[in-house]
Amino acid sequence: MTVPLHRDALGVARCFGNLHNSQRLRSPYIGALDALAGKMAVEAAIFSLDGVVKRYGAHTALDSITFSIKNNEYVSLLGPSGSGKTVLLRTIAGFEAPDAGTVHVGNHDKTRVPAHLRAIGFVFQNFALFPHLSVFDNVAFGLRYGIMPIAEDAVRERTLKMLDLVGLTGLGERGVTQISGGQKQRVALARTLVTEPKLVLLDEPLGALDANLRTRMRIELRRIREQLGVTFLHVTGSETEALAMGDRVIVLDQGRIAQIAKSDDVYNRPASANVARFLNRYNVFDGVLEGDRFTSPYGQFGFGHRVPDRRSAYAIRYDRLAARASDGPQNGGATLEAGYVASEYLGSAVVHFFEAKGGKVIEVEHHLSNGPPAKYVAGARYVLAWKPDDAIVFG
Amino acid sequence: MESKVLKPILAVYVGLFLLFLYGPFLVLGILSFQQGPEGGPQFPITEWSTFWYKHLFGLAPPSRVSPLPIGEALFRSMTLAGMTMITSTVLGVMSAQAFRKNFRGKSVIFYLIVLGMIVPGVLVGLGTALVATTTGIDRHWWSTAFATHVVYTFPFAFLVMLAIFNRFDSSVEEASWSLGVSPLKTFRKVTFPLIFPGVLSAMLFAFTLSYDEFSRTLFSSGRDQTLPLAIYGTFTVEIHPNVFAFGVLTTIFSFSLLAVYAILMTLSVRRAKRVAIQEAIA
Repeated sequence: MTVPLHRDALGVARCFGNLHNSQRLRSPYIGALDALAGKMAVEAAIFSLDGVVKRYGAHTALDSITFSIKNNEYVSLLGPSGSGKTVLLRTIAGFEAPDAGTVHVGNHDKTRVPAHLRAIGFVFQNFALFPHLSVFDNVAFGLRYGIMPIAEDAVRERTLKMLDLVGLTGLGERGVTQISGGQKQRVALARTLVTEPKLVLLDEPLGALDANLRTRMRIELRRIREQLGVTFLHVTGSETEALAMGDRVIVLDQGRIAQIAKSDDVYNRPASANVARFLNRYNVFDGVLEGDRFTSPYGQFGFGHRVPDRRSAYAIRYDRLAARASDGPQNGGATLEAGYVASEYLGSAVVHFFEAKGGKVIEVEHHLSNGPPAKYVAGARYVLAWKPDDAIVFG
Repeated sequence: MESKVLKPILAVYVGLFLLFLYGPFLVLGILSFQQGPEGGPQFPITEWSTFWYKHLFGLAPPSRVSPLPIGEALFRSMTLAGMTMITSTVLGVMSAQAFRKNFRGKSVIFYLIVLGMIVPGVLVGLGTALVATTTGIDRHWWSTAFATHVVYTFPFAFLVMLAIFNRFDSSVEEASWSLGVSPLKTFRKVTFPLIFPGVLSAMLFAFTLSYDEFSRTLFSSGRDQTLPLAIYGTFTVEIHPNVFAFGVLTTIFSFSLLAVYAILMTLSVRRAKRVAIQEAIA
């Protein structure tokens, strides 16, 4: 269904379209090509950013951001705090004006269009509900006072339907200060979705909820989005949330896009050492790359996969390491020596913390489906081993 | 240990504070019930009576004490205070709204506005009178005096609104825009209802400050006097307790305004709570 390089694919489809028009070919292929072009149009970018720059004084918050989002797609935007993800979202929504670059919705340039004429929804981290209005009036707000006048019966009908969809049936008369955090989140979502925007921006929408509710709302968010076929751009600082929610993940690093890819590609093939760090699933070592050997303060390691990057680093996933007694049999592969510190039980896995030379903490994850965890002695030295093929090197 | 010493001292301090605040009013209130028309504005009370209240409304038998010439002055002061209240509050809200954004010369303009409440009132009044005379503008309570009142009360309204906007979470406005609601409608439907308690406070400030303004009005109001000037005028002849009776009545009027404000506020809060409880039971 999805075409990863949809932009290029669309370009190709357009070329065929031109060919079709100019040369007036009547070949049986043309019909198929037309159908293909039609299919492409459905999956065409409904939204694109081109070279967006935003500066605050000497600080560059966004540095030539370029990407596009297809119709009916769930994209998550991952970045540590200060990476510019909220600024990016606010620029798209029209709350901030970019210093350079363009924002397109469909084929329309919206760069200079005020926020209320962009038809882009925005869900705030703090919900930003109207405290003086009831749940119903909050949800009906955009329909009642928006640019398109709608009859009050239609407003009522659409609002009630939306309240049903987000699971707030019968709570319409309640004040928004008298409902729980999860219900507030649903009101915020319903209020935005009822106006039927093509694109909804969500700024850490689950950030204000407790962990249990967060997991439930993730599923709810996906369900509601799929039911309405609307495009979501979901900003989050949580790597698990980004990977779980997005069809694609955009990783932002210091105002630049570090990677745009499907969740599993980001997870297995991080495009830079920083991306690997944000994922919180890789032990990342600094060092020097020479030919096919990587020299770190902890020794020389081989690797299986190399990714070009400005700074060199070495990354090995937590669950690809194994710890064994330092006097055990050696069987090649990459190893380093470290002292055991502590373990953390995660339910399905146990994470062991080791400390290598210079206080560098190395995490080793043991899945409990692979048998009970080994017992380690605190302070004792162990050898951490992994297959070089599992490691990624940047540089 | 510390609180054993500190607490009584603080209690005495608060007691003194309240005494100085309400003492004069208490004395005034007691003296307003002096016997009339012979009784004067001093202790002891020769006999308790409501003579001066009747006198105020022209219900007392004719005597050598002429009625207070305050009827028209009261009307003028009320009208002037109302005009000042509306103008200053509108200006205060608008300028405080402007101060939410950064612009060049922001701090200079801030101090220029706030200066209006620091400059001595007599000087402003005198200056306005001089300017009016030189430019040939007639001085009236509704023109020159009105201008000085607005200049005086506007900074208060501005500061009240600035404090309100300081705590205002502007993401609700952004939320409204993102729902396709124009900035103007957003102000009407979201911003204004949320800042309304602040607007009410700014209005109260402007009204009360204008209502008993003296020094600026003295020079700038021209021939027709406002209430404070009229009352002051009666003092220069002879003071009778009818002024005190009038003072008590106006104070009661002010308190009842505040009471209405408080009742309205508690009612709206209670209504919101009751809805929640009903929902919880159902």
